[in-house]
Amino acid sequence: MAWITAGNDRETIMRSLPGIGDHFAQLYQSFWELPHIPAGILELCRLRLAQLHNSHTDWELEQYPLDPEKKANLRQWSKHAAFTDAERACLALTEVHAMDAQAITDEQADAVKAHFGEVGLVALIQALGVFDGMIRLGLLWGLSAPEGEG
Amino acid sequence: MATKARVQAPDSDTGNPIRDSALGLVPETLQHYLPLNTAIWEAGPLTAAEIELARLRNARHVGCVFCKAVRYDIAIEAGLSEDKVQMINDEFLSSSLTPREKLILAFTDQYLHQPSVPDDDLMQQLQAEFTEHELLHLSLVVAYFNGFSRCAVALGGMPDELPRMEISVPK
Repeated sequence: MAWITAGNDRETIMRSLPGIGDHFAQLYQSFWELPHIPAGILELCRLRLAQLHNSHTDWELEQYPLDPEKKANLRQWSKHAAFTDAERACLALTEVHAMDAQAITDEQADAVKAHFGEVGLVALIQALGVFDGMIRLGLLWGLSAPEGEG
Repeated sequence: MATKARVQAPDSDTGNPIRDSALGLVPETLQHYLPLNTAIWEAGPLTAAEIELARLRNARHVGCVFCKAVRYDIAIEAGLSEDKVQMINDEFLSSSLTPREKLILAFTDQYLHQPSVPDDDLMQQLQAEFTEHELLHLSLVVAYFNGFSRCAVALGGMPDELPRMEISVPK
């Protein structure tokens, strides 16, 4: 159970602060239904963030069904043949965003825009901020054990 | 930092800085951003001055020039002075901020620098000072502003510096 309040998962804990937690959950959910960028690519980016944060719980969570080969080889996304150019562009931006948003280059942003346009770039960057936040909250609250794969 | 904007903001002039920003290009998420932003300020147990402490600590960490320059009027009305804002630096533990204010900054730093369960000492101090709802509110405040400020930085178009500007919470 989390140390911050009763509850064993993020959704339960966030629902315990109605009026804010529900809006947060609705924003998170909205990313999986966007027409501007495929949910499968967002799931790859979310899982890559889980790896970078070493969050086992978020790595195990399936928000959107993926090709198992892609999940198994996500650490090698830049070289593995299973990944498309569009996926690589989004994963490259994801990794830099996770470390320092100021370090994102125009070339990395342009690579995402080449596949998904300006709206797709905005949607991806918004999603990364929310996904990263969800993962950090899980770790901060003690819901995500940093162990094993991830 | 990219000073040139990477996307063209929508051609709108609603007076709402969120709706008129690049975030307005994605109406499917904007419809959730706007009520969440209002709720963060108005629907939780922390005061606006306490929220502003965490927001400005995050802005400093992320390097969001716009976020650092902004002061929300409701936080000032709730008692956040510019003298206190100047104490939101890396020496805040030895400042004249109150113990509660220092704990808000320490919790924010835990989220930003080492997202993990706080050590026993910090956890006990947090649990002694804040209610469960206050800690949950603070968690969501930091998560929201961190994601929002990183989005602003990543989209480019950020000037090197801006003067202090007082604004109201966009509705």
